[in-house]
Amino acid sequence: MTGSAASPVPIPVRVGVHPGPALLAGVADGPSLPAHRARYGDLPTPTLDELHRLVSAVGLRGRGGAAFPFATKLEAAARGRRPVVVVNLSEGEPASAKDSALALSAPHLVLDGAVATARALGAREVHLVLPGDRPMARLRMLAAVDERHDKVRLRTHTADPRFVAGQARAVVELMSGRTNLPVTAWAPEAVEGYRRRPTLLSNAETWAQVGRLVLAGEPAYRRLGTGAEPGTTLLTHSRHGADPEVREVPFGTSFGDVLPPLPAGAAVLVGGFHGAWTTWGLLAGTPVSVPGMAAAGLPLGAGIVHVPATAGCPLGFTSAVVDYLAGQSAGRCGPCVNGLPALADAVRAAWQGRDTAARVDELAGLLTRRGACAHPDGTVRMVRSLFTALPAEVAAHRDGACVATTRAGVAP
Amino acid sequence: MSRRLRVDWPACRARGLCHELLPEVVDLDEWGYPIVTDAVPDALLADARAAVRACPRLALRIVD
Repeated sequence: MTGSAASPVPIPVRVGVHPGPALLAGVADGPSLPAHRARYGDLPTPTLDELHRLVSAVGLRGRGGAAFPFATKLEAAARGRRPVVVVNLSEGEPASAKDSALALSAPHLVLDGAVATARALGAREVHLVLPGDRPMARLRMLAAVDERHDKVRLRTHTADPRFVAGQARAVVELMSGRTNLPVTAWAPEAVEGYRRRPTLLSNAETWAQVGRLVLAGEPAYRRLGTGAEPGTTLLTHSRHGADPEVREVPFGTSFGDVLPPLPAGAAVLVGGFHGAWTTWGLLAGTPVSVPGMAAAGLPLGAGIVHVPATAGCPLGFTSAVVDYLAGQSAGRCGPCVNGLPALADAVRAAWQGRDTAARVDELAGLLTRRGACAHPDGTVRMVRSLFTALPAEVAAHRDGACVATTRAGVAP
Repeated sequence: MSRRLRVDWPACRARGLCHELLPEVVDLDEWGYPIVTDAVPDALLADARAAVRACPRLALRIVD
């Protein structure tokens, strides 16, 4: 059974935050409101039209993983009555640390983005969903809320420590006083979410980008990145046995220019546990860019690059990840409850040297688009990428030639 | 407009009535959960509505 397998990447206790060119420019000044106001001045009050023009002009996309156009969500939320703004800081993905980095280093940039949007929409409440298993980030955000005197009310909630707790519908459930697990969405949250009201829910980095745009203005925002993809994005560089490091990178920069080099054949997991395997040789020349990475068949996702242990085996690591993800299922949707443990068995058998590629394909069909959330879909995507990106690794296991001795590269 | 059956996955408990009533559109997976194979043709719309009403978990809807 895979009931409560631990994550092979632990939830980080400490996060390395590198000063960056925009969102992370004020790291050295500390996270206080006076330091934030000294850098940016008072929060402007753009109208809904002005805000919409700004986010459309720079093509701002959500930074929670799906890269959904923010302007489209804003339009949907503006159409209904009494919209609600939600800042999702739950960061259920263990290999991600960027939202924690913002909470620790730039909490008021996040809050300014959400408050400016709430004012533009005429929303009276901004809800903050804080991580249940990252106490430092949670406390820093609560302290930031205490520093402020906004006209909109800031309400805080604490997410359950579970991988799927940060999923949009699970967050709406939590805010509504129900169990913090995904349910079927019959309409997008921006159309009908919290108390059936339009709910503009985005993750912390998205709100920090909105904040930066409103505070610094479009020309300053455009000074970084490319013409087609202005601005920056946050990357979490997660490595076996080390604290994660968060870096802010202008769009269009290649991964080889921002991350320390690895051997060309080294396996790298991009986009986190729902992401895709690739090799450093392929990734190094790929730009940090949503379309640029899509062209290389890779997801930017929430900006995670995980490098497993050098002496470890990517197939064994994947097996440990799928065991963990199967245990993180909300346990509500039949295909996920049955299919993820079956997928975990198939990946473990592949690690043990059996040819289970056909069974993996079969389960992929049974798990995709058959749940309230995309947890099974993301898990399938990551597993399949192993078989396509690292075929030699899978073959080595069938031939009994893998030299790694432990599954996740850690001592048993 | 092509109509489809949509399953409310957290509500579904693999009772299988949808497959009994509408085998043309609903198959079952190895665990007994519905696999909606196709859009609902107009000729089967009445049967599809019957399947929606018959679901003991109210876990089936027809969506456009």
